Amino acid sequence: MTVGVLIIAAFMIIPLVVGFFAASKSTKTSEDFFIQGRGMGAVAVFFTVAATWWSSFAFLGSNATFYTSGPVYLTALAWNLLFGFMYYWVGKRVWYLGKRFNYITPSDLLGDFYNNEKLRMVVAAILLIFTIPYLQIQLTGGAYLIEVASGGVIPFWFAALIFYFIIVIYVWVGGIRAVAWTDIIYGALLFFGMLFAGIYISQYLGGPTGLFKSLLENSPEHLTLPGPLGTSGYGQWFSLFIVTAIGAFMGPQIWLRMYAVKSGKLFNLMPFLLGFAAIAYMGSVLTGFSGVLLEPDVANADQILPIMLTKYAPFALASLILAAGAAAAMSTANSQIHAISTIVTLDIYQRYANPNASQDKIVKVGRISLVVFSLIAYVMALTVPGVLVTIGIAALAGTAQLIVPTIGAISWRRSHPTAAMWGLIGGVATALLITFIPAFSAPLGFHAGVWGLLVNSILFILISLKLKRTDEKVVKRFDEARFDYNQEYHPELIDDSIETRKSI
Amino acid sequence: MLSKYPQMKKWLYSMLILVFLILETPFILMANAAEPFVLGLPFFLFWNLLWWLIGTILFFIAYLTDWGSKSVKAKSKSK
Repeated sequence: MTVGVLIIAAFMIIPLVVGFFAASKSTKTSEDFFIQGRGMGAVAVFFTVAATWWSSFAFLGSNATFYTSGPVYLTALAWNLLFGFMYYWVGKRVWYLGKRFNYITPSDLLGDFYNNEKLRMVVAAILLIFTIPYLQIQLTGGAYLIEVASGGVIPFWFAALIFYFIIVIYVWVGGIRAVAWTDIIYGALLFFGMLFAGIYISQYLGGPTGLFKSLLENSPEHLTLPGPLGTSGYGQWFSLFIVTAIGAFMGPQIWLRMYAVKSGKLFNLMPFLLGFAAIAYMGSVLTGFSGVLLEPDVANADQILPIMLTKYAPFALASLILAAGAAAAMSTANSQIHAISTIVTLDIYQRYANPNASQDKIVKVGRISLVVFSLIAYVMALTVPGVLVTIGIAALAGTAQLIVPTIGAISWRRSHPTAAMWGLIGGVATALLITFIPAFSAPLGFHAGVWGLLVNSILFILISLKLKRTDEKVVKRFDEARFDYNQEYHPELIDDSIETRKSI
Repeated sequence: MLSKYPQMKKWLYSMLILVFLILETPFILMANAAEPFVLGLPFFLFWNLLWWLIGTILFFIAYLTDWGSKSVKAKSKSK
Protein backbone atom coordinates (compact mmCIF):
# COMPACT_ATOMS: atom_id res chain seq x y z
CA MET A 1 0.00 0.00 0.00
CA THR A 2 2.86 2.38 0.79
CA VAL A 3 4.21 1.64 -2.68
CA GLY A 4 0.87 2.65 -4.14
CA VAL A 5 0.86 5.94 -2.28
CA LEU A 6 4.46 6.57 -3.35
CA ILE A 7 3.58 6.00 -7.00
CA ILE A 8 0.64 8.37 -6.69
CA ALA A 9 2.89 10.94 -5.02
CA ALA A 10 5.41 10.71 -7.86
CA PHE A 11 2.57 10.97 -10.33
CA MET A 12 1.49 14.19 -8.63
CA ILE A 13 4.91 15.77 -8.16
CA ILE A 14 6.43 15.14 -11.59
CA PRO A 15 3.91 17.28 -13.51
CA LEU A 16 4.39 20.07 -11.02
CA VAL A 17 8.14 20.08 -11.62
CA VAL A 18 7.58 19.96 -15.38
CA GLY A 19 4.99 22.73 -15.09
CA PHE A 20 7.36 25.05 -13.29
CA PHE A 21 10.13 24.25 -15.74
CA ALA A 22 7.78 25.06 -18.62
CA ALA A 23 6.85 28.29 -16.90
CA SER A 24 10.50 29.33 -16.86
CA LYS A 25 10.47 29.10 -20.68
CA SER A 26 7.36 31.14 -21.23
CA THR A 27 7.00 34.75 -22.25
CA LYS A 28 4.33 36.95 -20.75
CA THR A 29 2.06 37.25 -23.78
CA SER A 30 -1.42 35.80 -24.01
CA GLU A 31 -0.47 34.05 -27.26
CA ASP A 32 2.21 32.19 -25.36
CA PHE A 33 -0.15 31.21 -22.56
CA PHE A 34 -2.92 30.01 -24.89
CA ILE A 35 -1.11 28.56 -27.94
CA GLN A 36 2.58 28.67 -27.09
CA GLY A 37 3.24 31.47 -29.56
CA ARG A 38 2.57 28.99 -32.45
CA GLY A 39 5.92 27.37 -31.82
CA MET A 40 5.17 23.87 -30.53
CA GLY A 41 7.59 21.23 -31.82
CA ALA A 42 6.99 17.72 -33.16
CA VAL A 43 7.36 15.58 -30.03
CA ALA A 44 5.20 17.84 -27.86
CA VAL A 45 2.51 18.12 -30.54
CA PHE A 46 2.22 14.39 -31.05
CA PHE A 47 2.08 13.53 -27.36
CA THR A 48 -0.23 16.33 -26.36
CA VAL A 49 -2.65 15.61 -29.19
CA ALA A 50 -2.58 11.87 -28.57
CA ALA A 51 -2.82 12.12 -24.78
CA THR A 52 -5.55 14.75 -24.98
CA TRP A 53 -7.53 12.71 -27.46
CA TRP A 54 -7.14 9.52 -25.44
CA SER A 55 -9.09 10.13 -22.30
CA SER A 56 -10.55 8.01 -19.53
CA PHE A 57 -13.14 7.24 -22.17
CA ALA A 58 -10.39 5.34 -24.01
CA PHE A 59 -8.64 3.93 -20.97
CA LEU A 60 -11.59 2.74 -18.88
CA GLY A 61 -14.41 2.89 -21.40
CA SER A 62 -12.71 0.66 -23.96
CA ASN A 63 -12.13 -2.15 -21.45
CA ALA A 64 -15.67 -1.76 -20.18
CA THR A 65 -17.15 -1.96 -23.67
CA PHE A 66 -15.20 -5.08 -24.65
CA TYR A 67 -16.32 -6.59 -21.36
CA THR A 68 -20.03 -5.88 -21.68
CA SER A 69 -20.74 -5.49 -25.40
CA GLY A 70 -18.28 -7.59 -27.39
CA PRO A 71 -16.14 -6.31 -30.24
CA VAL A 72 -17.95 -3.07 -31.15
CA TYR A 73 -15.16 -0.94 -29.70
CA LEU A 74 -12.82 -2.34 -32.39
CA THR A 75 -14.28 0.40 -34.56
CA ALA A 76 -11.77 2.52 -32.60
CA LEU A 77 -9.09 1.32 -35.01
CA ALA A 78 -10.89 3.06 -37.86
CA TRP A 79 -11.83 6.13 -35.84
CA ASN A 80 -8.18 6.65 -34.96
CA LEU A 81 -7.39 6.58 -38.67
CA LEU A 82 -10.20 9.07 -39.31
CA PHE A 83 -9.01 11.33 -36.51
CA GLY A 84 -5.49 11.24 -37.93
CA PHE A 85 -6.71 12.00 -41.42
CA MET A 86 -8.77 14.97 -40.19
CA TYR A 87 -5.80 16.28 -38.27
CA TYR A 88 -3.97 16.41 -41.58
CA TRP A 89 -6.70 17.55 -43.93
CA VAL A 90 -8.69 19.90 -41.73
CA GLY A 91 -6.04 20.65 -39.12
CA LYS A 92 -3.38 21.85 -41.51
CA ARG A 93 -5.78 24.28 -43.16
CA VAL A 94 -7.04 25.54 -39.81
CA TRP A 95 -3.42 25.99 -38.70
CA TYR A 96 -2.60 27.91 -41.86
CA LEU A 97 -5.55 30.27 -41.52
CA GLY A 98 -4.80 30.68 -37.80
CA LYS A 99 -1.27 31.75 -38.54
CA ARG A 100 -2.31 34.06 -41.34
CA PHE A 101 -5.18 35.82 -39.58
CA ASN A 102 -3.94 35.44 -36.02
CA TYR A 103 -6.67 33.19 -34.58
CA ILE A 104 -6.47 31.71 -31.11
CA THR A 105 -9.93 30.20 -30.54
CA PRO A 106 -12.26 28.18 -32.79
CA SER A 107 -14.75 31.08 -32.79
CA ASP A 108 -12.03 33.33 -34.17
CA LEU A 109 -11.88 31.33 -37.38
CA LEU A 110 -15.59 30.62 -37.80
CA GLY A 111 -16.59 34.12 -36.68
CA ASP A 112 -14.15 35.67 -39.12
CA PHE A 113 -14.98 33.55 -42.15
CA TYR A 114 -18.75 33.76 -41.70
CA ASN A 115 -18.40 37.38 -40.63
CA ASN A 116 -21.18 36.99 -38.12
CA GLU A 117 -21.19 37.88 -34.46
CA LYS A 118 -24.13 35.65 -33.49
CA LEU A 119 -22.51 32.63 -35.05
CA ARG A 120 -19.35 33.38 -33.13
CA MET A 121 -21.34 33.26 -29.89
CA VAL A 122 -23.17 30.06 -30.84
CA VAL A 123 -19.84 28.36 -31.56
CA ALA A 124 -18.39 29.45 -28.21
CA ALA A 125 -21.56 28.31 -26.43
CA ILE A 126 -21.54 24.87 -28.09
CA LEU A 127 -17.90 24.38 -27.16
CA LEU A 128 -18.41 25.38 -23.54
CA ILE A 129 -21.65 23.49 -22.95
CA PHE A 130 -20.49 20.22 -24.49
CA THR A 131 -16.94 20.25 -23.17
CA ILE A 132 -17.94 20.43 -19.52
CA PRO A 133 -19.65 17.00 -19.29
CA TYR A 134 -16.72 15.48 -21.15
CA LEU A 135 -14.42 17.11 -18.62
CA GLN A 136 -16.49 15.79 -15.77
CA ILE A 137 -16.06 12.17 -16.90
CA GLN A 138 -12.29 12.66 -16.93
CA LEU A 139 -12.39 13.77 -13.35
CA THR A 140 -14.66 10.94 -12.28
CA GLY A 141 -12.51 8.34 -14.04
CA GLY A 142 -9.22 9.77 -12.84
CA ALA A 143 -10.23 10.21 -9.23
CA TYR A 144 -11.66 6.72 -9.13
CA LEU A 145 -8.39 5.28 -10.37
CA ILE A 146 -6.38 7.17 -7.77
CA GLU A 147 -8.70 5.93 -5.07
CA VAL A 148 -8.17 2.31 -6.15
CA ALA A 149 -4.42 2.70 -6.79
CA SER A 150 -3.90 4.01 -3.27
CA GLY A 151 -5.71 1.00 -1.88
CA GLY A 152 -8.56 3.19 -0.66
CA VAL A 153 -6.27 5.35 1.48
CA ILE A 154 -7.15 8.39 -0.65
CA PRO A 155 -10.96 8.70 -0.86
CA PHE A 156 -12.68 9.70 -4.11
CA TRP A 157 -13.50 13.30 -3.13
CA PHE A 158 -9.96 13.91 -1.98
CA ALA A 159 -8.42 12.23 -5.03
CA ALA A 160 -10.49 14.48 -7.29
CA LEU A 161 -9.48 17.49 -5.26
CA ILE A 162 -5.72 16.92 -5.42
CA PHE A 163 -6.10 15.99 -9.06
CA TYR A 164 -7.49 19.41 -9.78
CA PHE A 165 -5.18 21.33 -7.52
CA ILE A 166 -2.26 19.98 -9.47
CA ILE A 167 -3.77 20.81 -12.84
CA VAL A 168 -4.68 24.32 -11.78
CA ILE A 169 -1.20 25.01 -10.42
CA TYR A 170 0.76 23.90 -13.43
CA VAL A 171 -1.58 25.31 -16.04
CA TRP A 172 -1.65 28.56 -14.03
CA VAL A 173 2.08 28.93 -14.14
CA GLY A 174 2.94 27.40 -17.49
CA GLY A 175 -0.09 27.69 -19.80
CA ILE A 176 -0.33 25.34 -22.78
CA ARG A 177 3.41 24.69 -22.74
CA ALA A 178 3.13 23.08 -19.30
CA VAL A 179 0.14 21.05 -20.45
CA ALA A 180 1.98 19.79 -23.53
CA TRP A 181 5.12 18.88 -21.66
CA THR A 182 3.30 16.96 -18.93
CA ASP A 183 1.33 15.27 -21.69
CA ILE A 184 4.57 13.75 -22.98
CA ILE A 185 4.92 11.87 -19.69
CA TYR A 186 1.22 11.07 -19.42
CA GLY A 187 1.01 9.96 -23.05
CA ALA A 188 3.86 7.48 -22.72
CA LEU A 189 2.47 6.13 -19.44
CA LEU A 190 -0.98 5.76 -20.92
CA PHE A 191 0.17 3.97 -24.08
CA PHE A 192 2.33 1.40 -22.30
CA GLY A 193 -0.06 1.11 -19.37
CA MET A 194 -2.95 0.11 -21.62
CA LEU A 195 -0.93 -2.42 -23.62
CA PHE A 196 0.92 -3.88 -20.69
CA ALA A 197 -2.18 -4.34 -18.52
CA GLY A 198 -3.81 -6.47 -21.22
CA ILE A 199 -0.74 -8.56 -21.96
CA TYR A 200 -0.10 -9.16 -18.28
CA ILE A 201 -3.65 -10.15 -17.38
CA SER A 202 -4.13 -12.42 -20.40
CA GLN A 203 -1.22 -14.55 -19.14
CA TYR A 204 -3.69 -16.04 -16.65
CA LEU A 205 -5.55 -17.56 -19.58
CA GLY A 206 -2.55 -18.78 -21.53
CA GLY A 207 -1.78 -15.58 -23.42
CA PRO A 208 -3.86 -13.91 -26.14
CA THR A 209 -4.53 -17.03 -28.23
CA GLY A 210 -5.46 -19.10 -25.18
CA LEU A 211 -7.78 -16.31 -24.10
CA PHE A 212 -9.55 -16.10 -27.47
CA LYS A 213 -9.89 -19.89 -27.69
CA SER A 214 -11.53 -20.18 -24.30
CA LEU A 215 -13.72 -17.17 -25.05
CA LEU A 216 -14.85 -18.97 -28.21
CA GLU A 217 -15.89 -21.93 -26.07
CA ASN A 218 -17.46 -20.03 -23.20
CA SER A 219 -18.89 -16.87 -24.67
CA PRO A 220 -18.55 -16.85 -28.48
CA GLU A 221 -20.96 -13.92 -28.82
CA HIS A 222 -18.22 -11.69 -27.38
CA LEU A 223 -16.23 -12.21 -30.58
CA THR A 224 -18.79 -10.97 -33.11
CA LEU A 225 -21.25 -8.10 -33.56
CA PRO A 226 -23.83 -7.39 -32.12
CA GLY A 227 -22.19 -8.74 -28.95
CA PRO A 228 -23.59 -10.67 -25.97
CA LEU A 229 -26.35 -8.13 -25.25
CA GLY A 230 -27.40 -8.09 -28.90
CA THR A 231 -27.44 -4.29 -28.90
CA SER A 232 -24.03 -3.38 -30.32
CA GLY A 233 -24.44 -3.99 -34.01
CA TYR A 234 -23.59 -2.11 -37.16
CA GLY A 235 -25.48 1.05 -36.16
CA GLN A 236 -23.39 1.48 -33.07
CA TRP A 237 -20.24 0.49 -34.92
CA PHE A 238 -20.69 3.28 -37.44
CA SER A 239 -22.01 5.82 -34.91
CA LEU A 240 -19.04 5.45 -32.58
CA PHE A 241 -16.70 5.82 -35.54
CA ILE A 242 -18.28 9.08 -36.68
CA VAL A 243 -19.22 10.69 -33.38
CA THR A 244 -16.10 9.90 -31.38
CA ALA A 245 -13.58 10.88 -34.02
CA ILE A 246 -15.33 14.05 -35.18
CA GLY A 247 -16.59 15.08 -31.73
CA ALA A 248 -13.17 14.81 -30.14
CA PHE A 249 -11.49 16.43 -33.11
CA MET A 250 -13.75 19.46 -32.89
CA GLY A 251 -13.20 19.86 -29.14
CA PRO A 252 -11.57 23.19 -28.27
CA GLN A 253 -8.61 21.40 -26.67
CA ILE A 254 -7.67 19.75 -29.99
CA TRP A 255 -8.42 22.91 -31.93
CA LEU A 256 -5.88 24.90 -29.90
CA ARG A 257 -3.41 22.14 -30.72
CA MET A 258 -3.83 22.88 -34.41
CA TYR A 259 -3.00 26.57 -33.97
CA ALA A 260 -0.05 25.90 -31.65
CA VAL A 261 1.93 23.83 -34.17
CA LYS A 262 5.18 25.31 -35.40
CA SER A 263 5.58 23.75 -38.84
CA GLY A 264 3.08 22.67 -41.48
CA LYS A 265 5.20 19.65 -42.30
CA LEU A 266 4.26 18.08 -38.99
CA PHE A 267 0.63 17.72 -40.07
CA ASN A 268 1.76 15.34 -42.83
CA LEU A 269 3.22 12.95 -40.26
CA MET A 270 0.52 13.08 -37.59
CA PRO A 271 -1.98 10.69 -39.25
CA PHE A 272 0.64 7.94 -39.24
CA LEU A 273 1.60 8.50 -35.61
CA LEU A 274 -1.98 8.83 -34.39
CA GLY A 275 -3.08 5.81 -36.44
CA PHE A 276 -0.23 3.67 -35.22
CA ALA A 277 -0.86 4.52 -31.56
CA ALA A 278 -4.24 2.74 -31.85
CA ILE A 279 -2.39 -0.55 -31.33
CA ALA A 280 -2.70 0.20 -27.60
CA TYR A 281 -6.37 -0.79 -27.89
CA MET A 282 -5.19 -4.37 -28.21
CA GLY A 283 -4.44 -4.06 -24.50
CA SER A 284 -8.09 -3.20 -23.86
CA VAL A 285 -9.24 -6.12 -25.98
CA LEU A 286 -7.18 -8.48 -23.83
CA THR A 287 -8.18 -6.91 -20.50
CA GLY A 288 -11.88 -6.68 -21.32
CA PHE A 289 -12.10 -10.23 -22.70
CA SER A 290 -10.04 -11.67 -19.83
CA GLY A 291 -12.54 -10.02 -17.52
CA VAL A 292 -15.39 -11.91 -19.20
CA LEU A 293 -13.77 -15.21 -18.27
CA LEU A 294 -12.15 -14.39 -14.94
CA GLU A 295 -14.58 -11.89 -13.39
CA PRO A 296 -17.94 -12.29 -15.10
CA ASP A 297 -20.03 -10.59 -12.40
CA VAL A 298 -18.72 -7.05 -12.15
CA ALA A 299 -21.70 -4.71 -11.85
CA ASN A 300 -20.08 -1.43 -12.93
CA ALA A 301 -18.18 -2.26 -16.10
CA ASP A 302 -16.13 0.94 -15.94
CA GLN A 303 -14.37 -0.65 -12.98
CA ILE A 304 -13.30 -3.80 -14.82
CA LEU A 305 -9.70 -2.69 -15.41
CA PRO A 306 -8.99 -1.54 -11.84
CA ILE A 307 -10.64 -4.69 -10.46
CA MET A 308 -8.68 -7.00 -12.75
CA LEU A 309 -5.43 -5.26 -11.91
CA THR A 310 -5.84 -5.22 -8.17
CA LYS A 311 -6.85 -8.90 -8.20
CA TYR A 312 -4.41 -10.32 -10.73
CA ALA A 313 -1.32 -8.10 -10.77
CA PRO A 314 1.24 -7.34 -8.05
CA PHE A 315 0.18 -4.25 -6.14
CA ALA A 316 3.04 -2.03 -7.32
CA LEU A 317 2.41 -2.90 -10.97
CA ALA A 318 -1.32 -2.43 -10.56
CA SER A 319 -0.78 0.99 -9.00
CA LEU A 320 1.55 2.02 -11.78
CA ILE A 321 -0.92 1.06 -14.49
CA LEU A 322 -3.79 2.68 -12.64
CA ALA A 323 -1.69 5.81 -12.36
CA ALA A 324 -1.33 5.55 -16.14
CA GLY A 325 -5.12 5.52 -16.35
CA ALA A 326 -5.27 8.56 -14.15
CA ALA A 327 -2.73 10.05 -16.54
CA ALA A 328 -5.19 9.46 -19.38
CA ALA A 329 -7.83 11.39 -17.51
CA MET A 330 -5.46 14.06 -16.33
CA SER A 331 -3.96 14.70 -19.76
CA THR A 332 -7.39 15.26 -21.27
CA ALA A 333 -8.74 17.24 -18.33
CA ASN A 334 -5.78 19.62 -18.18
CA SER A 335 -6.14 20.43 -21.87
CA GLN A 336 -9.90 20.87 -21.59
CA ILE A 337 -9.66 23.19 -18.62
CA HIS A 338 -7.01 25.19 -20.42
CA ALA A 339 -9.14 25.33 -23.57
CA ILE A 340 -12.28 26.37 -21.70
CA SER A 341 -10.40 29.13 -19.96
CA THR A 342 -9.08 30.27 -23.35
CA ILE A 343 -12.60 30.52 -24.78
CA VAL A 344 -14.00 32.33 -21.77
CA THR A 345 -11.12 34.78 -21.69
CA LEU A 346 -10.79 35.60 -25.38
CA ASP A 347 -14.25 34.94 -26.84
CA ILE A 348 -16.24 36.36 -23.97
CA TYR A 349 -14.15 38.57 -21.70
CA GLN A 350 -11.87 40.22 -24.23
CA ARG A 351 -14.42 40.47 -26.99
CA TYR A 352 -17.43 41.74 -25.06
CA ALA A 353 -16.36 42.91 -21.62
CA ASN A 354 -13.00 44.53 -22.06
CA PRO A 355 -11.71 44.77 -25.65
CA ASN A 356 -8.74 46.90 -24.63
CA ALA A 357 -7.48 44.57 -21.92
CA SER A 358 -3.70 44.41 -21.58
CA GLN A 359 -1.77 41.16 -22.15
CA ASP A 360 -1.22 40.83 -18.42
CA LYS A 361 -4.89 41.30 -17.70
CA ILE A 362 -5.90 38.70 -20.30
CA VAL A 363 -3.58 36.07 -18.89
CA LYS A 364 -4.87 36.91 -15.42
CA VAL A 365 -8.50 36.44 -16.45
CA GLY A 366 -7.44 33.20 -18.17
CA ARG A 367 -6.05 31.98 -14.88
CA ILE A 368 -9.10 32.96 -12.86
CA SER A 369 -11.48 31.20 -15.25
CA LEU A 370 -9.19 28.20 -14.98
CA VAL A 371 -9.89 28.01 -11.26
CA VAL A 372 -13.62 28.64 -11.61
CA PHE A 373 -14.17 25.97 -14.28
CA SER A 374 -12.06 23.43 -12.41
CA LEU A 375 -14.29 24.01 -9.44
CA ILE A 376 -17.46 23.49 -11.48
CA ALA A 377 -16.07 20.24 -12.90
CA TYR A 378 -15.08 19.13 -9.41
CA VAL A 379 -18.54 19.69 -8.00
CA MET A 380 -20.07 17.90 -11.01
CA ALA A 381 -17.78 14.91 -10.54
CA LEU A 382 -18.97 14.57 -6.95
CA THR A 383 -22.65 15.03 -7.71
CA VAL A 384 -23.45 13.80 -11.24
CA PRO A 385 -23.16 10.05 -11.65
CA GLY A 386 -23.11 8.21 -14.99
CA VAL A 387 -21.43 5.68 -17.22
CA LEU A 388 -18.31 7.12 -18.86
CA VAL A 389 -18.98 6.06 -22.43
CA THR A 390 -22.62 7.17 -22.46
CA ILE A 391 -21.95 10.68 -21.13
CA GLY A 392 -18.86 10.94 -23.30
CA ILE A 393 -20.69 10.14 -26.52
CA ALA A 394 -23.55 12.52 -25.74
CA ALA A 395 -21.07 15.37 -25.20
CA LEU A 396 -19.09 14.47 -28.31
CA ALA A 397 -22.26 14.47 -30.42
CA GLY A 398 -22.59 18.18 -29.62
CA THR A 399 -19.07 19.32 -30.46
CA ALA A 400 -19.06 17.12 -33.58
CA GLN A 401 -21.63 19.47 -35.18
CA LEU A 402 -18.93 22.09 -35.67
CA ILE A 403 -17.24 20.02 -38.36
CA VAL A 404 -19.81 21.10 -40.96
CA PRO A 405 -19.24 24.89 -40.82
CA THR A 406 -15.51 24.26 -40.35
CA ILE A 407 -15.15 22.23 -43.54
CA GLY A 408 -17.29 24.87 -45.22
CA ALA A 409 -14.97 27.64 -44.06
CA ILE A 410 -11.80 25.97 -45.24
CA SER A 411 -12.97 24.60 -48.54
CA TRP A 412 -16.15 26.12 -49.98
CA ARG A 413 -16.48 29.77 -50.91
CA ARG A 414 -20.27 29.64 -51.07
CA SER A 415 -20.56 28.66 -47.40
CA HIS A 416 -23.11 31.06 -45.98
CA PRO A 417 -23.41 32.33 -42.38
CA THR A 418 -27.17 31.71 -42.29
CA ALA A 419 -26.56 28.17 -43.46
CA ALA A 420 -23.90 27.63 -40.81
CA MET A 421 -26.20 28.97 -38.12
CA TRP A 422 -29.26 26.91 -39.09
CA GLY A 423 -27.11 23.87 -39.69
CA LEU A 424 -25.67 24.10 -36.18
CA ILE A 425 -29.03 24.78 -34.56
CA GLY A 426 -30.67 21.94 -36.50
CA GLY A 427 -27.81 19.55 -35.80
CA VAL A 428 -27.55 20.22 -32.08
CA ALA A 429 -31.36 20.19 -31.66
CA THR A 430 -31.63 16.86 -33.48
CA ALA A 431 -28.83 15.36 -31.40
CA LEU A 432 -30.40 16.57 -28.14
CA LEU A 433 -33.94 15.52 -29.07
CA ILE A 434 -32.90 12.02 -30.01
CA THR A 435 -30.71 11.71 -26.92
CA PHE A 436 -33.26 12.91 -24.39
CA ILE A 437 -36.66 11.94 -25.77
CA PRO A 438 -37.02 8.18 -25.35
CA ALA A 439 -39.57 7.81 -28.16
CA PHE A 440 -36.94 8.87 -30.72
CA SER A 441 -34.16 6.70 -29.39
CA ALA A 442 -31.55 5.89 -32.02
CA PRO A 443 -33.54 5.53 -35.28
CA LEU A 444 -32.22 2.60 -37.36
CA GLY A 445 -29.67 2.00 -34.60
CA PHE A 446 -27.63 5.10 -35.39
CA HIS A 447 -26.65 7.46 -32.59
CA ALA A 448 -28.21 10.90 -32.14
CA GLY A 449 -24.93 12.53 -33.14
CA VAL A 450 -25.01 10.88 -36.58
CA TRP A 451 -28.56 12.14 -37.24
CA GLY A 452 -27.51 15.56 -35.98
CA LEU A 453 -24.66 15.64 -38.47
CA LEU A 454 -26.95 14.54 -41.28
CA VAL A 455 -29.53 17.27 -40.57
CA ASN A 456 -26.73 19.79 -40.09
CA SER A 457 -25.04 18.95 -43.41
CA ILE A 458 -28.26 18.99 -45.41
CA LEU A 459 -29.33 22.36 -44.00
CA PHE A 460 -25.85 23.77 -44.51
CA ILE A 461 -25.56 22.73 -48.15
CA LEU A 462 -29.11 23.62 -49.19
CA ILE A 463 -29.15 27.07 -47.56
CA SER A 464 -25.65 27.88 -48.84
CA LEU A 465 -26.69 26.99 -52.37
CA LYS A 466 -29.81 29.12 -52.09
CA LEU A 467 -28.26 32.27 -50.60
CA LYS A 468 -25.45 34.46 -51.88
CA ARG A 469 -22.91 36.14 -49.68
CA THR A 470 -22.85 39.90 -49.84
CA ASP A 471 -19.59 40.44 -47.98
CA GLU A 472 -17.34 40.00 -51.03
CA LYS A 473 -14.34 41.37 -49.16
CA VAL A 474 -14.27 38.57 -46.62
CA VAL A 475 -14.94 35.90 -49.24
CA LYS A 476 -12.08 37.26 -51.31
CA ARG A 477 -9.70 37.40 -48.37
CA PHE A 478 -10.32 33.71 -47.75
CA ASP A 479 -10.06 32.87 -51.44
CA GLU A 480 -6.62 34.40 -51.43
CA ALA A 481 -5.66 32.48 -48.31
CA ARG A 482 -6.81 29.23 -49.90
CA PHE A 483 -4.92 30.05 -53.07
CA ASP A 484 -1.70 30.72 -51.16
CA TYR A 485 -2.20 27.57 -49.13
CA ASN A 486 -2.51 25.49 -52.28
CA GLN A 487 0.42 27.22 -53.88
CA GLU A 488 2.55 26.25 -50.93
CA TYR A 489 1.28 22.73 -50.26
CA HIS A 490 -0.73 21.59 -53.27
CA PRO A 491 0.83 23.12 -56.37
CA GLU A 492 -1.03 20.56 -58.51
CA LEU A 493 -4.30 22.36 -57.70
CA ILE A 494 -3.08 25.80 -58.61
CA ASP A 495 -4.11 25.88 -62.26
CA ASP A 496 -7.69 25.26 -61.23
CA SER A 497 -7.52 27.90 -58.56
CA ILE A 498 -6.31 30.51 -61.00
CA GLU A 499 -9.33 29.82 -63.16
CA THR A 500 -11.59 30.07 -60.15
CA ARG A 501 -9.92 33.27 -59.16
CA LYS A 502 -10.37 34.83 -62.56
CA SER A 503 -14.01 33.99 -62.50
CA ILE A 504 -14.53 35.90 -59.22
CA MET B 1 -9.98 18.14 -63.34
CA LEU B 2 -9.08 14.81 -61.80
CA SER B 3 -6.45 14.23 -64.47
CA LYS B 4 -4.40 17.06 -63.05
CA TYR B 5 -3.84 15.21 -59.80
CA PRO B 6 -0.56 13.35 -59.57
CA GLN B 7 -0.85 9.54 -59.78
CA MET B 8 0.42 9.14 -56.24
CA LYS B 9 -2.25 11.36 -54.78
CA LYS B 10 -5.02 9.56 -56.67
CA TRP B 11 -3.73 6.19 -55.56
CA LEU B 12 -3.32 7.24 -51.91
CA TYR B 13 -6.77 8.73 -51.57
CA SER B 14 -8.45 5.83 -53.39
CA MET B 15 -6.73 3.34 -51.13
CA LEU B 16 -7.67 5.30 -48.00
CA ILE B 17 -11.28 5.48 -49.13
CA LEU B 18 -11.17 1.73 -49.71
CA VAL B 19 -9.89 1.15 -46.15
CA PHE B 20 -12.71 3.23 -44.68
CA LEU B 21 -15.31 1.56 -46.92
CA ILE B 22 -14.16 -1.88 -45.84
CA LEU B 23 -14.07 -1.02 -42.15
CA GLU B 24 -17.09 1.23 -41.79
CA THR B 25 -19.78 0.36 -44.35
CA PRO B 26 -22.07 -2.65 -43.77
CA PHE B 27 -19.43 -4.55 -45.74
CA ILE B 28 -17.74 -5.11 -42.37
CA LEU B 29 -20.55 -7.53 -41.46
CA MET B 30 -19.23 -9.99 -44.05
CA ALA B 31 -16.16 -10.37 -41.85
CA ASN B 32 -18.26 -10.67 -38.71
CA ALA B 33 -17.23 -14.19 -37.69
CA ALA B 34 -15.21 -15.63 -34.84
CA GLU B 35 -13.71 -18.39 -36.98
CA PRO B 36 -11.39 -19.23 -38.64
CA PHE B 37 -8.66 -18.06 -36.30
CA VAL B 38 -5.85 -16.31 -38.19
CA LEU B 39 -2.46 -15.88 -36.49
CA GLY B 40 -4.11 -16.88 -33.21
CA LEU B 41 -6.74 -14.15 -33.52
CA PRO B 42 -10.50 -14.49 -34.06
CA PHE B 43 -11.33 -13.62 -37.67
CA PHE B 44 -13.21 -10.39 -36.95
CA LEU B 45 -10.36 -9.05 -34.84
CA PHE B 46 -7.79 -10.13 -37.42
CA TRP B 47 -9.75 -8.48 -40.23
CA ASN B 48 -9.96 -5.16 -38.38
CA LEU B 49 -6.28 -5.23 -37.46
CA LEU B 50 -5.30 -6.06 -41.02
CA TRP B 51 -7.09 -3.05 -42.51
CA TRP B 52 -6.01 -0.81 -39.68
CA LEU B 53 -2.42 -1.82 -40.47
CA ILE B 54 -2.91 -1.14 -44.18
CA GLY B 55 -4.36 2.29 -43.34
CA THR B 56 -1.44 3.07 -41.04
CA ILE B 57 1.10 2.06 -43.69
CA LEU B 58 -0.74 4.24 -46.22
CA PHE B 59 -0.38 7.17 -43.83
CA PHE B 60 3.32 6.51 -43.65
CA ILE B 61 3.62 6.42 -47.44
CA ALA B 62 1.57 9.62 -47.50
CA TYR B 63 4.06 11.25 -45.17
CA LEU B 64 7.01 10.18 -47.31
CA THR B 65 5.42 11.52 -50.49
CA ASP B 66 3.98 14.78 -49.04
CA TRP B 67 0.52 13.27 -49.42
CA GLY B 68 1.08 12.85 -53.13
CA SER B 69 1.47 16.56 -53.73
CA LYS B 70 4.53 17.74 -55.56
CA SER B 71 6.46 20.05 -53.31
CA VAL B 72 6.98 23.63 -54.49
CA LYS B 73 10.64 22.84 -55.10
CA ALA B 74 9.96 19.87 -57.33
CA LYS B 75 7.54 21.95 -59.34
CA SER B 76 9.90 24.82 -59.93
CA LYS B 77 12.55 22.37 -61.09
CA SER B 78 10.23 20.80 -63.61
CA LYS B 79 9.36 24.17 -65.07
